Amino acid sequence: MSKKLHIQKLRRVYVWELPVRMYHWLNVLVLIALVVTGFYMSNPLAILSKKEAVNSYTMGWFRYIHFAAAYLFFFNFLFRLYWGFTGNKYANWKQFIPISRRFLKEMWIVFKIDILMMKGKNGKSEHLSVGHNAMAGFIYFLTFIVFLIQCLTGFGLYAPMASWWFPKLFAWVPAVFGGDILTRVIHHWAMWFFILFAIVHVYLVFYHDYIEGRGEISSMGGGWKFIEDDVFEKNKHTTPNPESAK
Amino acid sequence: MINDASVLKQPTYYEEVERKGYSRRDFMKFVSMITAFMGLEKSAIGQVAKALETKPRIPVIWLHFQECTCCSESFIRSSHPIVADILLDKISLDYTETLMAASGTQAEEALKNTMTKYKGQYILCVEGSVPLAADGVYCMIGGKTSIQILEEAAEGAAAIIAWGSCASNGCVQSAKPNPTKATPIHKLVSGKPVIKVPGCPPIGEVMAGVIVHYLAFGKIPELDRLGRPKAFYSKRVHDSCYRRPFYDAGLFVETFDDENAKKGYCLYKVGCKGPSTYNACGVMKWNNGTSYPIQSGHPCIGCSEENYWDNGRMYERASAFPGFGIEANADTLGKIALGATAVAIAGHAIATNIGKHTTIHNLEEEGKESEHELNV
Amino acid sequence: MSKRIVVDPITRIEGHLRVEADIENGKIKDAYSSGTMIRLLEEILKGRDPRDAWAFVGRVCGVCTSIHSLTSVRCVEDALDIVIPPNAELVRNIMFCTQYIHDHVVHFYHLHAMDWVDVVNALKADPKKTSELAQSISKWPKSSPGYFSDIQTRIKKFVESGQLGIFANGYWGHPAYKLPAEVNLIGLAHYLEALEWQKEIVKVHAIFGGKNPHPNYLVGGMACAISIDDVSGINAERLAYVGQLLKDGKEFIEQVYIPDLMAVASFYKEWASIGGGLGNYLVYGDLPTNGYRDLSHYKFPAGAILNKDVSKVYDVDLKKEEEVQEFVTHSWYEYKEGNDKGLHPWKGESKIKYTGPKPPFDHLDTSKEYSYLKTPRWKGNAMEVGPLARVLVGYARGREDFKAVVDKALKDLNVPITALFSTLGRTAARGLETILTAQWGLEFYDQLMTNIKNGDTRMAEMSKFDPATWPKTALGVGHTEAPRGALAHWINIEDQKIANYQLVVPTTWNASPRDNKGQMSAYEAALIDTPVANETQPLEILRTIHSFDPCMACSVH
Ligand code: HEM
Ligand code: HEM
Ligand code: NFV
Ligand code: SF4
Ligand code: SF4
Ligand code: F3S
Ligand SMILES: [Mg+2]
Repeated sequence: MSKKLHIQKLRRVYVWELPVRMYHWLNVLVLIALVVTGFYMSNPLAILSKKEAVNSYTMGWFRYIHFAAAYLFFFNFLFRLYWGFTGNKYANWKQFIPISRRFLKEMWIVFKIDILMMKGKNGKSEHLSVGHNAMAGFIYFLTFIVFLIQCLTGFGLYAPMASWWFPKLFAWVPAVFGGDILTRVIHHWAMWFFILFAIVHVYLVFYHDYIEGRGEISSMGGGWKFIEDDVFEKNKHTTPNPESAK
Repeated sequence: MINDASVLKQPTYYEEVERKGYSRRDFMKFVSMITAFMGLEKSAIGQVAKALETKPRIPVIWLHFQECTCCSESFIRSSHPIVADILLDKISLDYTETLMAASGTQAEEALKNTMTKYKGQYILCVEGSVPLAADGVYCMIGGKTSIQILEEAAEGAAAIIAWGSCASNGCVQSAKPNPTKATPIHKLVSGKPVIKVPGCPPIGEVMAGVIVHYLAFGKIPELDRLGRPKAFYSKRVHDSCYRRPFYDAGLFVETFDDENAKKGYCLYKVGCKGPSTYNACGVMKWNNGTSYPIQSGHPCIGCSEENYWDNGRMYERASAFPGFGIEANADTLGKIALGATAVAIAGHAIATNIGKHTTIHNLEEEGKESEHELNV
Repeated sequence: MSKRIVVDPITRIEGHLRVEADIENGKIKDAYSSGTMIRLLEEILKGRDPRDAWAFVGRVCGVCTSIHSLTSVRCVEDALDIVIPPNAELVRNIMFCTQYIHDHVVHFYHLHAMDWVDVVNALKADPKKTSELAQSISKWPKSSPGYFSDIQTRIKKFVESGQLGIFANGYWGHPAYKLPAEVNLIGLAHYLEALEWQKEIVKVHAIFGGKNPHPNYLVGGMACAISIDDVSGINAERLAYVGQLLKDGKEFIEQVYIPDLMAVASFYKEWASIGGGLGNYLVYGDLPTNGYRDLSHYKFPAGAILNKDVSKVYDVDLKKEEEVQEFVTHSWYEYKEGNDKGLHPWKGESKIKYTGPKPPFDHLDTSKEYSYLKTPRWKGNAMEVGPLARVLVGYARGREDFKAVVDKALKDLNVPITALFSTLGRTAARGLETILTAQWGLEFYDQLMTNIKNGDTRMAEMSKFDPATWPKTALGVGHTEAPRGALAHWINIEDQKIANYQLVVPTTWNASPRDNKGQMSAYEAALIDTPVANETQPLEILRTIHSFDPCMACSVH
């Protein structure tokens, strides 16, 4: 090695607070449950059982799990929205919605560097952010919209079977689509968004860990990330990130 | 407005007179006086008395547009009340091309008479959809388009009943590409209550039930958000299906006439739309409780739901996405997207190792350096 | 000078039919029949799953409900080379017979009777005499004087209310009504009775197809599994129900419909020489007894008769390009290669092009295009289809069962065989074939019972249900005898989807506009020379048109 490496001093930053981490992993669990049960409900396995109907309750259980998970999912989601106003800077709702030019600019930079594989300034990759980058934030924003669609259509379908007033609040949803059939189709299609998102998301988490070496994977466990000193300085008091503003 | 259902609630003259404490003799005196006053012969007294004694039956106009007339057919299948009783005692069906004696000008005259004489009081029933393409020429009666006829008849109607899926959601002729622009009734009239009675056709007793409800309680039945009477459309076929225990148990017919079909297992996997279809089939059944589609071994095709013709293949459970070809059901496209994603990720990973070679190299070196330093 | 009169809407039919007729010296000199509603199902079917087609085309008509579904599954089975199990064939046959019994009775009483029966005149009848008359022609139990006087009172009250409902503005008192008051009262009583009765027989459809109207069919057989040991399948109770309904149905036909038909006919014999029309008859045949493919074992034999010559019956081949063709010379369509050429349905097109007057209008331009019906021709000939054609072909093919009912009726009415070529003949033939189908229905029922007893419980052949097993392209044609006549559907399947689907329907044969050579179709031809006593009350036009039992939703689809 002829070239001398520029050794960065890393600062430990508490990025994901406990509530965010709990939200995240609960979300992962219930989503797995919802997708598995959703698949089953849409196309149940062939069980050429000799059992009597009274002795089994397969579809019943799948539906039960789906609805139970749906409640957890919904309230967890609500909680996350609330935390967007209460939590730390990295959990703030401003991290998700592209309202400023700066946000858009950063999205563009991430797009260039992480997706188009272009070189950043001075030929180096730019790790601008401390929490998630603007592009990731925006994708999560889209995800939240699909969460919303899924809750609306799901509770809309559930409303006529429910005895509690809460799901009944959603009875108007199928009416908007002219009936349950289309509502169900939309609910089914939206599921694919989650599956695709999760795969890409997990890949990207690994990608960032590999490319940036800041402990991305473990951050959703312990809450810490390790941020280069210069990035750390630049990120003080600004949201999302100062570099892109220039 | 409908709620004062004036024709119904109006007592007959005789009832009115009786209520006020007059006798039959007084009533007859009044009749002869009125007969004379109207300039009629004495022999007409009996007739006038009769007319004043009998309650007018509620006038009904039943229009036929883009239809297959099976709604009319279903209506005459009603067993309680039977249709003869409805026609003779309960309503005055003044216009319906399917059953009326008069044709041509006499038929049109009958229509006009009721529209003027009972303005604001008659019930307008519509069977069939209205084609809007090409200025409405795809359905013409007596040289007029169906939209012209509907607009005229709707104006003086107390309430409108949209019979069947044709009138309430466009049914088969509005399936893609809807070449005649077949349009349901509620999209064409405003300011009038439209009672949708979907189904292809609706159950006969449901049709009779809607009319009888109006006559018995003097108001239109309570409607749900989509304008359907709650009395018959508040539950899914699935909720009252006698095969439901098999559904819950996960026991399904895999293909027609298989062992499971003979056992009467749930028809979900051969395409049953019962879980998304609001209708009374499971409870009231068809043809005076004889059977209903699922009982006869065929899945519900969702015939009372909007767009039920455009929801992908009939015998498949999976949901097709509207607008794509028939084979593009959600899961096929989903799997394709999944494959594409996997390929993209692999591609990206490889590109990363090449394109970001320096970055990765530096990180590795940095790591090795630290490891090295610690080893020293 | 002739005068053009217009009858629109023609009521007591299915759908939207308009007739324009030129009257000269009290007779019709020229006539035009126009269908004025279209939905274009043939376009809507393109690109869809062939297995779903039966549900779409079933909705072509709710009056002859089920018959298009039957034709559709046959046509797909033909394309995919599927042979259905015998039980499925029997169930389809039983449903077919049920459909005839229902449709013909409803036509006679509710769509046709008021052309012959004067409802208001029935009020003058003597209930006692009516009862005697009724008992002399049938042993139907409901025929006491009290029964008839109750009906009379009820109708009297109804008429006096001043609200005549469906009877309002009828042609009551028209000189062409010839029945004695007592016969009118029987007709009226049975109008009401048939209205109540008709809802029973269709329960057969509910049992096998889940509901009526629009029962379910299935490519490959029927969905109603036989399961004599399960409450959900076709078991002893369901079968007994069907048997009972068929028996009751036959009873009503024999004790009510036919006696009434004969009684009414005997007063209108002059109509045995009016309304004959074309004299060409076409039948595709139906009610297979040895599988659908064996045409020689049909209860309704196939064949064509030309120029009333019953000594010669021609064979019909629906797959031959030159046999069945549709023309649009006078129709509101546009063919790619010009409107003067006929197209075989496998190459059929349904591109709409309205060229008529802008509504509201008083008259159509009948020298140009004037209808949404296409004009089908068999080897270039205009053909009449329907009950009369079926009865004539059965008779001409020398079938004993047909001979027996026809000869008896001719003898009872004391008229020659040529009387059949008429308005009255058409109406009578409908009754006669109903006697036969009511008998056959019970035969099929017995065979079904025997099959099940012998252990054959198959109801569907599903090995080719999966589209993956289909060839890349396939052509099929399915035929039947709908209540109103010969019906067939043609399908082209490409890549598991419908590439083209064409229906040529009985009422299309009968009610179509003129062809490229100016030949009239059956309605128009039959109206020629029909007397019209009162131009403002076209009762006679209704008689002849109704004798065909028009179904316009079918004819245009
Ligand atoms: C967010 C993730 C969710 C996923 C991936 C998901 C997935 C699915 C899938 C695939 C189906 C089957 C659809 C079909 O028939 O094709 C389904 C059905 C259903 N889901 Fe969800 N779902 C989710 C959330 C929810 C929520 C929040 C609710 C709210 C209650 C809900 C309620 C329902 C209901 C009621 C059904 C219909 C079940 C039935 O009628 O038996 N889902 N879901
Ligand atoms: C082993 C699996 C996973 C790991 C290691 C992981 C890790 C992470 C990490 C490190 C972040 C922070 C993102 C950033 O810095 O840009 C994050 C955020 C997020 N992840 Fe995951 N994730 C996993 C699976 C999932 C799954 C399956 C889903 C849902 C389908 C999911 C949904 C989200 C969402 C919505 C956020 C945004 C969190 C917020 O700010 O509220 N994750 N994840
Ligand atoms: N024409 C006709 Fe039909 C019949 N019969 C069918 O094919 O009536 Ni609706
Ligand atoms: S809704 Fe169905 S049954 Fe009623 S007229 Fe339309 S197609 Fe026929
Ligand atoms: S057959 Fe259909 S309606 Fe009945 S339980 Fe199964 S899915 Fe539900
Ligand atoms: S197909 Fe229609 S008839 Fe009932 S069971 Fe389904 S809603
Ligand atoms: Mg056609």
